[in-house]
Amino acid sequence: MSLRFKIMSGFLILALMLAIAGIWSIYELSSIGTSVQDLLDENYRSIKAAEMMVEALERQDSGILLLLLGKWDEGQKIVNSGDDLFQENYKMAKNNITVPGEGDFIEKINQKYMIYKKSWGKPIVGTDKQGNLDWYFRNLHVEFLNVKSAVNELKELNEKTLYRTASDLKNRANRAVMPGTVAVIAALIFSLIFTYFVNLYMVNPIRRMISGIEDFIKKDKDFVVSFETNDEISHLSSAIQSLCSRVAPPVGKR
Amino acid sequence: MLKGGSTRGEKMRPYLIIRYVAFTLLLNAGFLLIAAVISGLNSDTAFFPLLYTCLIATLFGIFPILFVPGEAGSISNKEGLAIVVYSWILSCSIGTLPFVLWGGEFTFTNAWFESVSGYTTTGSSILINIEALPLGLLFWRSVTHWIGGIGIIIFALAVLPQLSPLAMVLYRAEGPDRSLQTFSHIGRRSIQILLRVYVGLTLVETVALLFCGMGLFDAITNSFATIATGGFSPRNMSIAHYGSIAVEIVVMVFMILSGMNFVLLFEAISGKPRALLQSSTVRYYLLALLIGVALTTLSLRGSGFGSWIKALRYSAFQVISIGTSTGFATTDSSIWPPFAQLVLLFFTFQCACASSTSGGIKADRMVLFLKSVARRVKQERNPRAVIPIRLDGKAVEDGMANLGVLYICLYVGIVFFSAGLLTAVGVDGISAFSGSAATMGNVGPGLGTVGSASYFAHIPSAGKWILSFTMLVGRLEIYGLIICIIPFYRR
Repeated sequence: MSLRFKIMSGFLILALMLAIAGIWSIYELSSIGTSVQDLLDENYRSIKAAEMMVEALERQDSGILLLLLGKWDEGQKIVNSGDDLFQENYKMAKNNITVPGEGDFIEKINQKYMIYKKSWGKPIVGTDKQGNLDWYFRNLHVEFLNVKSAVNELKELNEKTLYRTASDLKNRANRAVMPGTVAVIAALIFSLIFTYFVNLYMVNPIRRMISGIEDFIKKDKDFVVSFETNDEISHLSSAIQSLCSRVAPPVGKR
Repeated sequence: MLKGGSTRGEKMRPYLIIRYVAFTLLLNAGFLLIAAVISGLNSDTAFFPLLYTCLIATLFGIFPILFVPGEAGSISNKEGLAIVVYSWILSCSIGTLPFVLWGGEFTFTNAWFESVSGYTTTGSSILINIEALPLGLLFWRSVTHWIGGIGIIIFALAVLPQLSPLAMVLYRAEGPDRSLQTFSHIGRRSIQILLRVYVGLTLVETVALLFCGMGLFDAITNSFATIATGGFSPRNMSIAHYGSIAVEIVVMVFMILSGMNFVLLFEAISGKPRALLQSSTVRYYLLALLIGVALTTLSLRGSGFGSWIKALRYSAFQVISIGTSTGFATTDSSIWPPFAQLVLLFFTFQCACASSTSGGIKADRMVLFLKSVARRVKQERNPRAVIPIRLDGKAVEDGMANLGVLYICLYVGIVFFSAGLLTAVGVDGISAFSGSAATMGNVGPGLGTVGSASYFAHIPSAGKWILSFTMLVGRLEIYGLIICIIPFYRR
């Protein structure tokens, strides 16, 4: 094998190790970017929607209490604005189903909310329900808690997924850093081995040839330097040997 | 392959060692590629870690082969030993990479521990949830056992018997090691035959497990772990996961076979079972297992551990698993009665036969030890009598017997020292002692918090490094590592 091939292969291996580590790190980093975006798009949006639904329910509950107190205008206004807010965020959550099983949670919220809405949809002011706190606690408050609990379940599901994704991100960040670290350490070790081989198979033979030539010139000794390898160095040695034998025949033949 | 005779005074040739160690890297690279393909087919997250490690192993493996000429000459005994020891250490390092690159539960320390545990066929794990690992990585984890087993065969059958009788006489404390008789001129062909036995046993067990209803992946990985007497299972509950008596019987049979001297096993498979059947070591090994199972069954039954059948089933599996240094589990033996735990602890120290993939002190040395004790008793009665120690009808030199006893003392000393260090870093006494014994013997599970149903995750990092070192010391039969790392011996 030629020296050029050996040296080239050494540098190529180094380059390959670093290049592939670089490509992999870039891939992992871009994956992290996508994951962060997914995290925001998928889970955070659903969590936010759930929080707003809870807020809307709380508003509706306040409005209902005002209706029970006989304040029709203020109560109705607050209940309606709560309903709008709830519907808006419900739609947002419905259009952002990303976690397995999330659809079932959304459907459950819808069913519970419909029951709740049916209860406060009927007139309260001016009926026997006005001021009837027992009726409120037996019916409306229970249904209110049911919807709220369903919304909280949705929020919890997304929070758990968010935590899982964040943990996965930590792993991915590790994966993005590790190839680089490994490549650097591997490259350092490889450089040491490469240097050792260059010294053993290139520098040492050249030194031995120099010493052989000096012995040939100064001490009139035959140039006898042989190598196990079949590369430019051994060819050079053979060439020097034949040159020396032309200049001066071997000691035994003189 | 190996140049016989003494190598004292010969200079080691590092470039030659690097060239041969490079072949080990290429062997690892081949298996890493298979693991990467499995990972790719399952689209799991271990694909890149496995592929990148495969690439590094290939590049590091190819380069020395390009540089160092093939006709660089035969290798000396010490170079052979150095090649095996360095191959082991380098394989452990390469084996760490897929784990550490993948992340999860694998910090660098954890990854190193898992890798060393794999290659030394110990089977102790830091993983709390094994089944959370991607398939490619699970496969790689089992492969480390299998490659380690190949290393043991070469180490025990090709390197140990070839070492200089002066410098390495302790290795001959394997006693009547038939590898010395049958493979006095061990060659490439002999190793190939033994490797065929190794591969053959793996294939037969895989097929047998498939017949028992196990899935292909589980059958292959469990077979890898059984034949190498490793103990890494792809399931959190180890063999208990399958809840099948048929599976347990198949695994027990192959654990026993893997604990036997491979040379004798090879002769038996070749149609000459006499040597195997007449070997005093094999007889002792089987008898010890039988007595161990009986005592454990009695202890379990006496403590109200279910019916006789249930007690026998669990004790047989656990005793054979520990007694062959495999480390599989079908039950949590850390809740067993103290007597049954002591029986397991005895087998953790003793393990199976020399020249097998098993670890520990080995049955051969125990036979030598017991015969030495018996002779001593006889000599006390009749001080003038000349009583030779006989093994399989042949007299054993006094020096050999003494070296066997010395090895046992050194072995136990290292276990105590390692346990002492573990307690110093905060591990409780029982876990530290049994953990040290289990890693030194390459058994896997210990008692206490590192029992058969537990893991080593909670051990402090320093403790994991101590245990990793203990695994290597045990696997390399103490002297192997000492000779390679102390420069004095190199000269």
